[in-house]
This record gives sequence, C-alpha cells and structure tokens, in this order.
Amino acid sequence: MNTASIIAALFIILFTVGGLFFFTTSTIGLLRFPDFFTRLHATGKGDTLAVLFSLIGIGIYEGLSLTGFKILLIAVFMFLAQPTATHAISKAGMRYGLQPWKKEDSRK
Amino acid sequence: MIRKTDDIIIRTVARILVPFIQIYALYVIMHGHYSPGGGFQGGVILGASIVLLLITHGLVETKKKIPEKAIALFSSMGVFIYAGIGVLCLLLFGNFLDYGKLSVILNIPPAAARAMGILGVEIGVSITVMAVMISIFTSISTAEDHSKYDKEH
Amino acid sequence: MNTFFLVIGIGLCVLVFFVLYRVVFGPGVFNRIAAISAIGTKTLIIILIMGIIYNRIDMFVDISMVYALLNFIGTLAAAKYLEIGGEKL
Repeated sequence: MNTASIIAALFIILFTVGGLFFFTTSTIGLLRFPDFFTRLHATGKGDTLAVLFSLIGIGIYEGLSLTGFKILLIAVFMFLAQPTATHAISKAGMRYGLQPWKKEDSRK
Repeated sequence: MIRKTDDIIIRTVARILVPFIQIYALYVIMHGHYSPGGGFQGGVILGASIVLLLITHGLVETKKKIPEKAIALFSSMGVFIYAGIGVLCLLLFGNFLDYGKLSVILNIPPAAARAMGILGVEIGVSITVMAVMISIFTSISTAEDHSKYDKEH
Repeated sequence: MNTFFLVIGIGLCVLVFFVLYRVVFGPGVFNRIAAISAIGTKTLIIILIMGIIYNRIDMFVDISMVYALLNFIGTLAAAKYLEIGGEKL
C-alpha cells in the first residue's frame, strides 16, 4: 500500500463518516423538534449536506471513470432537487394552515 | 383539473430538469443490453418527466406540447413497431420475432441484426409505455369535463 | 474497505428505522411526507453502498439515479395535491 492510496482512504473515511454524522443529526432533528417547520429545517439542510458528503466519499473510492461521472451527476441532481422538494412541501404546509411553533407553546 | 403552480422556484427547477431526465431515459433505453433498464423502465422515466411537467406547468400548457391526439397515436404506434418487426421476420421465412432474418434487409451479419432487432422492439415498448402512462395520469387527474375550459384558452 | 462500507450501511439502516417512527406516529400528513422524503434520501446512499459491497457499482448507480428522481417527483406531487385543498386530514 503506497502513500497515495493511504491518503485516498483517509479522505474516503473522512467524507463518508461525515455523511453518516450529518444523517444522524438530521434524524435527531426530525425526531426531537417541536413542529413541522422546524423538523423540515433539520431534514432539508442536513440531508442535502449528508448526501453530498457521502457521494463525494463514494466517488473518491470509485475514481475517475464513467461510474464516477454518474455519481457526480447524482450529486448535482440532489443539490437541485432536494431544496426544491423541501420548499414545495413547506409552502404546501403554510397554505394548508399549519401554525409555526412559538416560544410560549408548551412542549408535549 | 391541474392548474399551473404559482411558485417560480418549482417551475424553474422543473423546466431545467425535464430535458435532462428525458436524455437519461433515452440512455436507459439504448443501454438496456448491458445495464439495468430497457424498454419498459425507460418508458416509465419518459412518462415521469411528462408527469413532472404536468404537475408544475398545468394541463393546458402540457397539452400544447403533447396533444391528446398525439398521445393516442403514440400508444398505438409503439405496438405497431413491436408487431411490425415481428411480422417482418415472418415475411422473411423466419419465426415471429426471429431477428436473425433481418440481416437480409439491413445488410449486416445476423448477430448484429439481432442486436438491432432487440433495440427496435425496445423502442416500440418504451413509446407505448410512455403514452399509456401519460394517458392514465391525465384521465385520473381530470375529474371534471374540461372541454369548455379548453375553448376559453 | 468493504467492512467499513458495511458498517456505514448498517448505520444508515438503523437511522431509517428511527425515521420510521415519524412516519408511523407523526401528527398529520405533512410530517409523514417529510419523513418519507428523508427515508428516500437515505435509501439512495444505501443502494450505492450495496453496489460497492456486491462489487457491481456500475449497475447499482443507475438504480440509485432513478430512485432519486422518483423520490423528487413523488414529493412534489404530494405537495401539489395537499396545496390545492385535499380533504382536511
């Protein structure tokens, strides 16, 4: 095992574990936050970053090839699509009449 | 009746994404021999791109791009391509869908003719699947009679 | 390296079960849709990791792309349906 592959393995582990960490934080946010909009805030931002980190890690593992290019394409697509989906569903919730959580409201 | 969404973000992103989704669907159809995919899956992705256009840009604007007559024509044209290739093989003294006999017309060796025949059949399948998916979606989503609405626009 | 990706995949599967709590018990239909979208995002990575473990990532990357696409269209369609006054749920 030469030096370059060790450095590549370090970057793979760094990015993939980072992705798992942000997935964990967004899941905790989805479970623990008090109302719909704050939960969406957690998953919308956290999941996008976590997907990008995980895809970068897997892309470094795969290297420069057609598969690596397709993984890059998935990353670009998720970067466009995930915030749009979050925006659409939060706006639908506002139109539907969900009230944002205030500080005075008591936690269940 | 599906109306146009009034949100500019969703409309813009959908308009950007639809052509790339369709190119990806063509890739899935053409590359179906070597990777997962093929006629049915590519047709479903093509249909999904039109459904995305339909739920973001509304029924009226989508009908300008793909009229209902064209959808009906496509859904029968795919079956015609599939059955036509099969009957062509029958006419060349082979079995139904025996692609090797197509080498006489295409002027290539039988193995290459087999690959071309499978590609033609998959293109037919994908056209039919796309048209039937769009037609099912429009039929379900238009609960009311919209012929009057069409005349106003 | 395979063992490392296996551990990451198992961690993601455990996270999916935690999100499933929000799908089952979440108050209202909007929480459920948000949670289902989150599950779809995690599944995309799980499919890619399965491809690495089975050593056939050139196959699984296509499936992953289609999964991301259908997840996006499904979320948009649900949001559209609920926006233009579905029944009060």
